Amino acid sequence: MAIQIILLCGLIIFSVLAILLKDLIKAALSLAVASLFLGIIFFLLAAPYAGVFEISVVAGLITVLFVLTIALTKKDGEVKESRIVHLAFPIFFILFIVIDGLVMKSLLQKIPVLPIGPEAGTFGEVLWKQRTFDLVAQIGIILAGVLAVLALFRKKEEDKDE
Amino acid sequence: MSNLWFLYLFFSALLIFIGIYCLLTMRNLIKLFIAIEIISKGVSLAIVATGAVNNNVLLAQSLAITYIVIEVCLVATALALIINIYKKNKSLDVRLLSKLKG
Repeated sequence: MAIQIILLCGLIIFSVLAILLKDLIKAALSLAVASLFLGIIFFLLAAPYAGVFEISVVAGLITVLFVLTIALTKKDGEVKESRIVHLAFPIFFILFIVIDGLVMKSLLQKIPVLPIGPEAGTFGEVLWKQRTFDLVAQIGIILAGVLAVLALFRKKEEDKDE
Repeated sequence: MSNLWFLYLFFSALLIFIGIYCLLTMRNLIKLFIAIEIISKGVSLAIVATGAVNNNVLLAQSLAITYIVIEVCLVATALALIINIYKKNKSLDVRLLSKLKG
């Protein structure tokens, strides 16, 4: 329990750093560290495959994409954020913690726990047999993403043709 | 076990709050997508924690993996859009987008 709370606090701290740090590279790296904490939490929740995906894809690939974009837009890409946003964040954050704590405390005994069904099979069986359409949808989404990126970077060739 | 579930829900709500606060107040487009990432972390934490607590962790894992794949495609497309916006406007300020006509 104590380890989980420490990991969850680390996740929250690095997420806060990711939005409050002015340097975008440091913000992206904080996001990666937060993903790392989330991956470890997934491992502790007995979900190792989700943890591996979280660490390799979100902490790895998405961070690389973010750093690449930041590097490409660094020249004039700095935007001045309002100072009030940074100053007001702790107030709103503490207020939300109090509200969140009260809501969760009031819900603690009221929400009926979902019926627990014994889970049969392995992860592979669940993923490939029960959630087959999810996999088809994933392939479709990946293709859509690739085509979208290709379409977005196609503009220069069109200009040449014109 | 139920107490543990509420602990995870508490922290996932906090993550979603951090993301929504950033989405509502920040101006930098990259920061906005970092906020979307943080919100998606909160959602995937809620999915996996609920699955683990209710003894349905295999199903929750497969949903979380689907969610991560969707997230990656979203981020790749969004970052490509951001680069195109930067090429056009020479700025990442989200307020400039409101000047678009059409």
